[in-house]
Amino acid sequence: MSSVSETTTTLETKGASGTWREIWLKEDWWAIWIGLGTVIVAYIFFVNGSSIKWLAVTPAKWSDLSALGAHFAANYLRYIAQFIVFLAVFTFALSALGHRARDFIPSFIILYVLSVAIFALGQWDKASTYNLEPPLVALVVGLILANFAGLPRWLDSGFRVEFYIKTGIVLLGATLPFTLIIWAGPVAILQASIVSLVTFAVIYWVATRLGLDKRLAATLGAGGAVCGVSAAIAIAGAVGAKKEYAPIAITTVIIWAVAMIFVLPQLAYYLHLPAGVGGAWIGTSEFADAAGFAAAETFNRLSGGDTAGSGNQAVIAYTLIKVIGRDVWIGIWAFVLAIVATTQWERVESGRKPEAVEIWRRFPKFIIGFLVASLFLTFVTTRYSLADYNKTVVPTLVGPIKDLRTWAFIFCFLSIGLTTRFRDLASAGRKPFLAFSAGAIVNVIIGFILSAVVFAAHWENLGH
Amino acid sequence: MESVNAQVRPQCSRCNSFRGDAKELELLLPGLTSLSSAYASVRSDDGICVRHDRFVGAGSYCADFSPASMRSPQPSSK
Repeated sequence: MSSVSETTTTLETKGASGTWREIWLKEDWWAIWIGLGTVIVAYIFFVNGSSIKWLAVTPAKWSDLSALGAHFAANYLRYIAQFIVFLAVFTFALSALGHRARDFIPSFIILYVLSVAIFALGQWDKASTYNLEPPLVALVVGLILANFAGLPRWLDSGFRVEFYIKTGIVLLGATLPFTLIIWAGPVAILQASIVSLVTFAVIYWVATRLGLDKRLAATLGAGGAVCGVSAAIAIAGAVGAKKEYAPIAITTVIIWAVAMIFVLPQLAYYLHLPAGVGGAWIGTSEFADAAGFAAAETFNRLSGGDTAGSGNQAVIAYTLIKVIGRDVWIGIWAFVLAIVATTQWERVESGRKPEAVEIWRRFPKFIIGFLVASLFLTFVTTRYSLADYNKTVVPTLVGPIKDLRTWAFIFCFLSIGLTTRFRDLASAGRKPFLAFSAGAIVNVIIGFILSAVVFAAHWENLGH
Repeated sequence: MESVNAQVRPQCSRCNSFRGDAKELELLLPGLTSLSSAYASVRSDDGICVRHDRFVGAGSYCADFSPASMRSPQPSSK
């Protein structure tokens, strides 16, 4: 190895401003600004006797096309206004992140138009009969366009999966009572931790037995055990993985995650799992937040969870398991594995010891927004009786926020398909795929036992 | 930020071989944006060292450090 001649260099040190810059250079923080900003604006309107409901328009239920047409004819101004607000807010945020507005704007126009169509299709009273669940339709339409229509890559500027799902999760927080998070959180953490640790151990053990490098095994393990592609990237950096390991993990996670979007909801429905139980199972079985929400939303609709008064239990259970039970711990996983990598595995000269501050640096900051949104809404509505809450707060405050959240989720689901180009994916390799699959299968089984047997009563009674 | 004009410890983020720009990483890692993002907090400041073909943290360094502000370092062989 060559040694660098020592030179006097003018360098800038990374001071506190480097840390502060993150608040406009990371998607997590923009999800917080947009999500919490929306909640605050909604609340301001609410306390002044008004509502953002006019802007949070969604297609109405319909049974024939003339009814749908009448809806759009009567509300086209609302859709135009909604589109303009979405476009302005997202363009501002994504420009701050470094994307070009001239790429984002046409891309988002396409995304919004497709989303309106898919949302409207999902409101057809025969949609469930023909299994036209919006998350699945969005995914399939996106995949077809991405893989067969030759979409130019610059359009990806508008197809920001993580940006939309994180914003949606912050908005989701506003619709969850904080007391529910406190009550259900410990069980979610316990269940998710058991599954995560076992899944990681299985993937790591099988991978190393197959002769794969420890760093690749860890990257795959994190992808399967914690939070999918994001975890794989985080751990790849933490352990100093070879560059080619990340694409292997990415491909493997994508294959499994996309397959699970279709399989898990149907399986949960076929097994007659209660909404909360199915949602919890999906929470431990899916690998990425975005894919998991697609699966949870689909199952929610299959189990009748989208009907009024049903409580959206599948999505709530999923969120508690996945976001609170798994996502929050990625920083700790990265820190621990970094220590293991630097002290136990073949040494890579990195010149840096793992620092505990990495736990914070890697913490998925959007979860802060989720918790703050929940705490805020819970606090400001605490004086309402349940009857008044349902009569007043839900239609004018929580309901519109939930509708905007649904839009964010549809943007996300479409974007998953629109950015998944199968021919671009790196080859997963037989051994990595086998190792990951072993963990995924164990994950599904243990997750089912914990959700449907051990903690079944807990998840069945979620929110009751 | 303060400027330091001294012999300072090398750092990957200031090395010629470091690729830490989020947009560039998304191009280097096909499929990343399908279910994740290089703009996510979980990535911290990690990037790719194109010399050693590894993921590295921005604050890491190695003996092959080559300052990005200087285009022609003269490494001495062992």
